[in-house]
Formats: sequence, C-alpha cells, structure tokens
Amino acid sequence: MQNEIVLEAPLTINWAINNSCNFACRHCYSRTDTHEEIPRDVLLACLEKVAKAGVFSVNFGGGEPLLHSGLLEIARHASGLGLRVSMNSNGWLIDRETARALRDAGFTKVGISIDSHISEIHDQFRGVAGSHGRAVAALGHLAEAGITTSISTVICRINHTAIDDLVIFAREQRAGQLNFHNFKCSGLGLSHKDELDLTPGEWQEFYRRALAAKEREKGLDISLDDPIIALLGARDAGSLVKGSVCGKLSLNIKANGDMTPCGFIPIVIGNIVRDDLKQVWRDSPVLEKMRNKKATGKCSGCSKYEDCLGGCSARALALTGDLNSPDPHCWA
Amino acid sequence: MQTIHRNPNVMWREEADALARVQEALDRGDEVEETGTSVLFSGGVMLSLNFLGTEIWKLCDGRTMDGIVAELLPQFDVEEAVLREDVQAFLDELAAKGFITYAE
Ligand code: SF4
Repeated sequence: MQNEIVLEAPLTINWAINNSCNFACRHCYSRTDTHEEIPRDVLLACLEKVAKAGVFSVNFGGGEPLLHSGLLEIARHASGLGLRVSMNSNGWLIDRETARALRDAGFTKVGISIDSHISEIHDQFRGVAGSHGRAVAALGHLAEAGITTSISTVICRINHTAIDDLVIFAREQRAGQLNFHNFKCSGLGLSHKDELDLTPGEWQEFYRRALAAKEREKGLDISLDDPIIALLGARDAGSLVKGSVCGKLSLNIKANGDMTPCGFIPIVIGNIVRDDLKQVWRDSPVLEKMRNKKATGKCSGCSKYEDCLGGCSARALALTGDLNSPDPHCWA
Repeated sequence: MQTIHRNPNVMWREEADALARVQEALDRGDEVEETGTSVLFSGGVMLSLNFLGTEIWKLCDGRTMDGIVAELLPQFDVEEAVLREDVQAFLDELAAKGFITYAE
C-alpha cells in the first residue's frame, strides 16, 4: 500500500528568519544574502500559510536565529500550529535559561555548529575567540532542558581528516546526531573555495571513512547529506529520494520571504508573503528542472546516475552555471 | 482485545489533489492502487500510502482489528477474509517500522 507520490507541498522548510550574525565564519553561505526582514505579524501569518499547506516542520536558521528578537514568539506560534520546530545555531547565546525558554517555546531539536573538536581551530575558523567553549556549553544546557541536540560540521580543509576525533567528541558531548555537511561553494564558501574545498579524491577518502564510522558507531546517528555517496554504494533503500532532497522534500525561505530551492541555490522562485506555497511548489520551472535532471558529461555513462542524479545541484550550478552538470566533487 | 494506535511522533498528511483524482477514478471504476494519497514521516523514514492504506492509517486511533475491518468493509468491494488479511499485513508492516503500536 506504499506508492510513488508527488508531494503537494514540502515536508520541511529551512527558514532564515533573519540574516544577522555575531560570527564571521569563513565558509558562510548567507553573508551576502538579504538582511531585509519580514515584519513580525506578517511572518506569523506566513507560518499559518505554511502550516495550512501541510508542511510538517520548520528549521530556523539564518544568520543566527537567536539574534531575532521575536524568535521565541515565532517558534511558539509555529508549534501551536502543529509544526515541528527546530533550529541551527552557533550556540553563543544559549545559556541554561535560554535553553529552557527554547524548550517552552516548542523547540524539539537544536543543531549546534561545531567545525572542529579542537577549540583553537574552531574559534579561528568562526572568527570569535571562546566560541567553541560556548557551543559546547550550549549542547549541555539544551540537553539538560530536554531538547534533542545535534552537532553540525561543515566538512572542509580544516577538518576532513579528523572524522574519528569528531565522532569521539560528539559522543563526549552526548549529541544524538552528528551531521557532516558537505562544503558548498555559495556565498563566502565560493570566495574561499580554493582555500577550503577538497579535491574529488579527498572527498572520496572522506566519505569512505565517514561511511565506515557511520557503520561502526551505534547510538550516534551520523548523517551525510550528499548524493554522490551513491558512488560508494551507500544510497539505496535508506534514502528518501534519489539525488538531493532540495525542491523534492524541502524548500528554503530567506529573511525577506524569498523562496529558493535550497539555501545554496540563489534562484528566487517566489515569495512566501505574496505567493501561494503549493502553487510555487507545483509550478516552479526551476523546481521542475531539479526534479527532472538530465545526465550530462560523465554522468551520461555513469551506472550510479539513477541514485545520484548528478549529485548536488547547488554545487554544479555554482561552478558550471548548469545544475545538470556533474557534481564538481564527484571522483568518478 | 488488542487495540491499534498511531505513533504520535509520526507526522502525516493527506494530499488533497491526489485524493480528488483518486475519488474521480473510483467513481469511474478505475484502479487506484498505485496512487499515493498520503505521506507519513518519522525518524528519517518516509512512506506514501494509497487510498486504502490511508483509510486504514486514519482508523489506527485505538480501535481493534475487528473495528477497523468493520469500518472499511462497506466502503470497499471485497470479501471480508481478504480485507482482513490485507489489513493485517499492512498493520504488521507499519508496526515493524514503528509507525503504529499494538496495546492490550
Ligand atoms: S558521474 Fe554523475 S551520476 Fe555518476 S557519481 Fe558522478 S555526479 Fe553522480
């Protein structure tokens, strides 16, 4: 009784409710994004639209969501509408009291960005002394408040060989999940690409070791959100969709309400204040293109195409101008 | 008597357009088994259910197996024994995935 289905609305929305930040990370994708914010009452009405369309969950990001003075009210409103509420934060502003307030506002899960198990490396990368210590403390406060925690690590040159150390670190911090995000060439990530991105061969080695850790570690959910792991035979029954999830299960909304397929693809397909979410989701030519990718170049002869669908469309678009191009990280 | 309960952590919805298409097809007497009309999501697993699957899922509200079958029988043109078998197999699959629980 299970079937193929064309979803009529996204399951989840990544929502940058603001774009202010107290950090200066070298890989940030959103520093160049709009800083214009939707007025509070309009934002609350937009959340109602989203809930009515059937979206299950919203994950607040930015920017640093805790710098939005209305975060708790917004989250309370969203969870009151039946939406599952989570966020990504750098952890700087989460003390015991804030963690409890987040729980009371309906947050069930909070991801903290930590890029290295070594505090000096993380602090230098994030541009703020003491940020590692406060991120670690935030994990403790959140767990104590009963919020599920995860650690989000953007894999790049500073940490790609430290997988085992990062796993040990995540265990010590009692995080439920360790997300290895693949490096995206968007925003500052593109400007610092040469300094931070890995070669295809290094990606292969990273994924080989990360998949081995995922296999080995019980009780810690290691998540790898990259379609090109199809090359290592790792995307089969467990994957929700073929290729990447952007535009198929999830959508991104910017601080000014502009909708994009994901946070790393700078193509605006509508605005949540003005447009009908289900209609944009159904009719956007960009989403249509992402859902029906065409194999080009080396993908044409690749036996993994059916699972991989050319890998990450955002990376292909950023570096070649065509989202159908083979993922630049691909080592095939 | 064993009762059947949806796991409250499962997020789910019916897809209105697909449902409308299925209802039209049913009126014409067409097959609708292949068309998903609802989507369920929990713990990183996504399921899409067809019309019958969705109707069963919606009845997992603390009823017994007998209660579910009794509710569905007038709606579907099928022998009771066949329906019972289908429902049981489907519920076992949902239970194995943790989407429902049985309680005494
Ligand atoms: S060649 Fe294309 S389809 Fe094959 S693994 Fe690389 S990106 Fe994916």
